[in-house]
Amino acid sequence: MRLLASLALQNLGRRRARSLLLIAAVAIGSGVVFTGATLMRSIDDSMAVGFTRLGADMMVVPEGALTNITAALLTVEPTDLVLDADALDKAHLASVGRAAPQKIVRVEHSGIGSHHDLVDLIGIDPARDFTIQPWLKEKLNRDLRAGDVILGAGRDAPLGSQMLIFGKPHVVYGQLGRTGVGTHERGVFMAFETLEALAGSMPQRPAVLAPGKVTGFLVELAPGSTALQARFAILSALKGAKVVTGESSLSGIRQGLAALLKGILALMGLMFASMAVMVSVLFSAIVTERRGELGMLKAIGARRSQIVGMMVAEAVIATGVGGILGVILGVLVMRLYERSLVYYLENIGVPFVWLDLLQTVAFAATAIVLASAIGALGALYPAWRASRRDAYDLVRGEG
Amino acid sequence: MLACRQVSKSYKTERGLVTAVAGIDLDVAAGRFAAIIGRSGSGKSTLMAMVGGLSRPSAGSVIVDGTDVWALSDNALAAFRNEKVGYVFQFASLLPTLRLIDNVALPALLGRRHGASGTYARAADLLERMGLGAYLDAYPSEISAGEQRRAAIARALINDPALLLADEPTSDLDEQTEIEIMEVLRAVNREVGTTLVLVTHNLALAEQAQQIIHIANGGIVANGVVVA
Ligand SMILES: Nc1ncnc2c1ncn2[C@@H]1O[C@H](COP(=O)(O)OP(=O)(O)OP(=O)(O)O)[C@@H](O)[C@H]1O
Ligand SMILES: [Mg+2]
Repeated sequence: MRLLASLALQNLGRRRARSLLLIAAVAIGSGVVFTGATLMRSIDDSMAVGFTRLGADMMVVPEGALTNITAALLTVEPTDLVLDADALDKAHLASVGRAAPQKIVRVEHSGIGSHHDLVDLIGIDPARDFTIQPWLKEKLNRDLRAGDVILGAGRDAPLGSQMLIFGKPHVVYGQLGRTGVGTHERGVFMAFETLEALAGSMPQRPAVLAPGKVTGFLVELAPGSTALQARFAILSALKGAKVVTGESSLSGIRQGLAALLKGILALMGLMFASMAVMVSVLFSAIVTERRGELGMLKAIGARRSQIVGMMVAEAVIATGVGGILGVILGVLVMRLYERSLVYYLENIGVPFVWLDLLQTVAFAATAIVLASAIGALGALYPAWRASRRDAYDLVRGEG
Repeated sequence: MLACRQVSKSYKTERGLVTAVAGIDLDVAAGRFAAIIGRSGSGKSTLMAMVGGLSRPSAGSVIVDGTDVWALSDNALAAFRNEKVGYVFQFASLLPTLRLIDNVALPALLGRRHGASGTYARAADLLERMGLGAYLDAYPSEISAGEQRRAAIARALINDPALLLADEPTSDLDEQTEIEIMEVLRAVNREVGTTLVLVTHNLALAEQAQQIIHIANGGIVANGVVVA
């Protein structure tokens, strides 16, 4: 009912200082929770090892390959060790869903970037790739063909423009969105044939550019299979290969970070609990203070549900506004400290990517709903108890 | 119209059980003006609260208009308070955050029996009749105690109650205001036929009633119908 709602609003306005303090407390609480959750999820996502983040479950590379993999690296350090391109196909492994072969060469003096830049040229099989093309942010309105290159988000060139690699003209076919995976951001991607055609122009011909050879495979598990099953199957079928999974490559720093995040999570839980207790205590006091009015409302025929509803509405308005302010506060704080946060994380080897908008909005909504729910729950019990009492006792100020 | 059967009320206190009302039997016919008199602490307000559906008796029953009030469910009891009874308290009882017009309209809005605009027109009309036409938008704190009491009477009348319970509506008011307020209450009783039960210390006021009930120590010591 409108009048009861405005009564709830007016009650908040009557004790303005107290209402503002309540709103501020809830804003801080839900702001911390929202910010914490968003940052944690973002950092958590950022910590996912490159290929996991790109949608693969594991990577298959030659046994001797250097796989000091961090979140910044998508793939192995380019070496001369190679695998047969059809090795996985021939093995027919039930636990392997998709496998995308890649050829990677790291080159200098390629004409891309400044003179001494090391550039990763990454060859893919467009038909089998599932980790690169889904990240295409923009592309020409046709299929990828020989002579086309795809640029990582960290490189700048207009679509359709010409790019000289070792003096040979190539067409910029598309550009990837930001993935936070270092080799991706700086990489130049192309079909196998495009990469192989460059072999002649390179100072020495890398072994991987021989037809039928690859640097490794990015593997997606078959539905229902476990990483362990796939690992065993691959290792027994492919001689001289090793399997790298996401968990195997967390560095100590990032494990420490993960522990820290768990601590923050626990703190956030406690914060929410204490907020709930505080709101509930406050509303017990408010109900006691206002029992005369509640009794009066009851005396003129307000139903219990209307009385409880009014008190709960009052609490929900206060804590809901607090929740909204908290989210706004959180967004501001995150924007303010974004630079230093990104800098710090990238320094310890975690390239930072923000949570996508949809998830952030979901977190914000959750924080606001939780704050409102705390208000509702905090007010519900005292209001319900008061509504049970005789109107006359309430009016006389007892209870 | 109103029948009390062995109604009692006792309170648990630290000093033990205090009996405020002890087994009262009382009948008031429809349309009558009844006055309850008795010393302070004799149990008048407690009895009124039990009759008006505000305070559950420890024992006995209250029947209003054929309804056993305290056998009703929570919601039915709320509807009873809302529709059947107009209650004027012994003390200021308006909601301080609402304007007079909202205070008066509130019982009707709670009951949702009429449209809001009709309700407000009626509330304005009642306030007008109480001589408060200039204060429709005023807040209770902006008017005098006597004016607040008159506004409370307007609120009690908004749903056309069959039973008007007034618990010392003129206590702590000056004589002139007391006379005005009594005029209003008696006019409602006479013209609309609303049953009026009035608690008062003022014997002169009580003598205008058709039935006088004298209470002492929670029991009736005299109950006389002056005019049948
Ligand atoms: N909630 C309560 N707890 C304990 N005792 C109570 C309570 N309410 C009323 N009483 C006692 O019951 C008795 C009757 O009180 P009540 O208010 O009905 O008297 P009253 O006749 O209306 O008096 P007054 O003329 O002063 O208004 C008093 O002795 C009072 O102390
Ligand atoms: Mg009294």
